[in-house]
Amino acid sequence: MSIPMNKSLLALCAALFSLFLWIAATVPSVGAQQPDQKPKQPPTQDQRGERVFDNNCARCHRPPMTIPPQATGTVIMHMRVRARLSSQEEKDLLYYLAP
Amino acid sequence: MKTKIVLACCLLLCVLRADAQGSDTAEANAQGADTESTHAGYVPVVSGSMGYVYNVNGSIPTLEPQINPVLLIPFGSHVLFESRTDFTGIFEHRNGTSGDYTGKVYKTVEFVQLDWLASTHVVPVAGRYLLPFGLYAERLDPLWIANLQDIPLDFSIGTQTTGAGVGPQLRGVAVETPDLNLQYTAYYSVHNNVTQLQSSRTAGSDVSVYFNSARVELGTSYQRFLDSSRINNVNRQVDNEAVYLTWQPIPSTLDVKAEFDHSYTGRGYWIEGYSMLSSVPVATNFFRRMQLVGRDEQFVPLHGGGNGLPGIEEKRVEGGFNYYIRDDWRLISSYGRQFNSGRNFNLWNLGFTYRFVWPLGREKKSQ
Repeated sequence: MSIPMNKSLLALCAALFSLFLWIAATVPSVGAQQPDQKPKQPPTQDQRGERVFDNNCARCHRPPMTIPPQATGTVIMHMRVRARLSSQEEKDLLYYLAP
Repeated sequence: MKTKIVLACCLLLCVLRADAQGSDTAEANAQGADTESTHAGYVPVVSGSMGYVYNVNGSIPTLEPQINPVLLIPFGSHVLFESRTDFTGIFEHRNGTSGDYTGKVYKTVEFVQLDWLASTHVVPVAGRYLLPFGLYAERLDPLWIANLQDIPLDFSIGTQTTGAGVGPQLRGVAVETPDLNLQYTAYYSVHNNVTQLQSSRTAGSDVSVYFNSARVELGTSYQRFLDSSRINNVNRQVDNEAVYLTWQPIPSTLDVKAEFDHSYTGRGYWIEGYSMLSSVPVATNFFRRMQLVGRDEQFVPLHGGGNGLPGIEEKRVEGGFNYYIRDDWRLISSYGRQFNSGRNFNLWNLGFTYRFVWPLGREKKSQ
């Protein structure tokens, strides 16, 4: 069986890549902020923590909601290194997972 | 030369952004007052995953019990020692497809590293670390995270020779705005022959940008393999490159990932996606825990392949269902078909995974 991988396949990959980008840029995600007439309230720390989880942790894995509270600080230190989180994101995530 | 330029650029970004850190934090605080978390401080933790996979590759069944404990020892809130060791048993029929099962357990120290969480922009790491190349090696490989248990065909690109490097590493957030995050990693690894800590001389970097509102991440990895590779009777220093994309239109529910890798000895791509079946209108309690997974991938050898990569063209299509009994217990199942110029064969995986987090020591509030 021949499985050619030539310029046309590379072009297809590039086209798919572009398609993903176009869709991502034009389709609002679930949870993305919609236009609102009311003045915006600043997000609470819990909301910021949830956003940090969705924007960082959820890129790789599903929510681990069974972390013992004693371990949360250390686990999030580990994840700050692994997921390259900022120090503010670490604080928000800590509050979200161990309020 | 390329490597030096990439490393220099990463360092320059760190320096340029270092003075902005204070203002970023102040801005975040202004958005909403921070409240002290009730977490119990920083105590040593043993976490990790264990699992048992019944794998059939072609017609050869293999039993694979695995456990990968991760030891985390914090020193205050800014220094962390972490280490992961993998114990994987490979047991096959004594005569291939008949007879009793026999085999052995393989032990691998995957990383032993010291992290200094100096600032948002610079986190120095030293020790033996996982090579940050592409999406899979550092992020998707853990047993409890991997949606499909078979690693991609082109996994060896950028992870030669042991998947780990020994030396210094810098990582962090170069740019953080409400719209996007630019994250980077730069590393240099020495050649090391110490048992369980073997590594090759490499240098490289990984840069990714994440667009918050679109939930799209675009990234690229570059690695210069500085140990000479013997390819076609010629010593070569090999460049490895990857570009990747992740997209979570609905976080933790719908996910798409794709990666293209290139090396002197081959190139390949994989596209993987999963969807939680929470929108199935019947038996919702059952289906919201069910995950449908699929992956398509292809690899083409160049210059004869080798260096841990297949020597012939390969294509694989895989699909499966995972069922989350709880967020830490998961039943896994998958079926795949692999095509190559020699023969086509089936791949089956059945088993379970379990993620554990065990705090050690007494609770103590850190200041």
